[in-house]
Amino acid sequence: MKINISRQYIYLMGVSILLFVFVLLFSFLVLIPEGKEYRENRGELKLKSNDLRKYQNLSDETEAKLKELQKKHRHVIVAFDTQFTPSRFKEQHKNNFSSLDISKAEIIEDTEGFVTYEVNTTSKISSPKSFYDFLDAINKSDWIIGVNFPIDFKRDGELINSSFTMKVYCNAKDKNATKKEEK
Amino acid sequence: MIYSYIRPRKKSAVTPEVKLLFTFFGITLLMLFITYAFLLYKDYNFVNDLNLIAQKNAVVNQNLSEMKSQIEFIEKENVLAQKIQTKNSVLKDSITNLFDLVPQSITLSQAQLQQNALILHGLTPNKDVYSFMLQAPLRSIFHKTYSSFYPAGDGWLRFVSTNYTDEEATIKEEVIENEN
Repeated sequence: MKINISRQYIYLMGVSILLFVFVLLFSFLVLIPEGKEYRENRGELKLKSNDLRKYQNLSDETEAKLKELQKKHRHVIVAFDTQFTPSRFKEQHKNNFSSLDISKAEIIEDTEGFVTYEVNTTSKISSPKSFYDFLDAINKSDWIIGVNFPIDFKRDGELINSSFTMKVYCNAKDKNATKKEEK
Repeated sequence: MIYSYIRPRKKSAVTPEVKLLFTFFGITLLMLFITYAFLLYKDYNFVNDLNLIAQKNAVVNQNLSEMKSQIEFIEKENVLAQKIQTKNSVLKDSITNLFDLVPQSITLSQAQLQQNALILHGLTPNKDVYSFMLQAPLRSIFHKTYSSFYPAGDGWLRFVSTNYTDEEATIKEEVIENEN
């Protein structure tokens, strides 16, 4: 039995096979690997996006905590940032003393982000109560100040001569500013 | 001479079969290329997005570490401030207690408060008043107490009371108290 296929159909079949092979090769060699890469990239992007979201949430929480701390300890933060000025100190505490003299502030310690200045103070007080009031007031003053030993009280007529040292604590960044102020 | 009664049809290279074939493969290839272009575009976008996320991550990380160090510093400041304020309050209480110890009959002329010592100068009517009313309470606070007297001229006695605390003994006492 003889099958009669025209030449035109043979050409058509050839072209069809060629195109089919091209489609298969393109699909398996190009499209599928590209699809895999797309899927991997999508997964990685999702993972990284989740990580970023977590970091942002953590960052938001930390920021809220920082703001709360700044609000709660505002007085302490401002006090550490405030430069110590003897004139302003005298002005603030003159009510507790009949006279008050403050020596020049000298750096005695510079560690862990804080600078400590030592100030020698001589004063006259009318009664020990004035000194107690001063110790109460110093905890609410514009600076972080600690009164230190030695403390000397000496009777002078109706008044008491007192001398003591004070340690003023500042942030290290204010060291240069305080030096300028003293000059 | 005519061999057929019908007119010959015009022959064309684009037969309906060829049209069908090219239409089918045309659509198939178009879909494949569109899919490929879509994937390429998406991959390009992913790379951009990943870079953007990495940049944002770096910024957030930096902010986070800055905020953490700020929090740490504020907490450190607060602890130091509390410590100093407590020290001032304790000092105030110590001085109040010291002056409360001195009886009405004894007049102090000078008081020197040192880290581990207290030196008092004053006037007492006699040694007994001093011993019972001032030295006895001082002995209960300090580990070593020395007193010296000399006449003031009007029958009264001037005294110098030097009192020391032994730091090691104080620490031992605190440890025993904590254990109890």
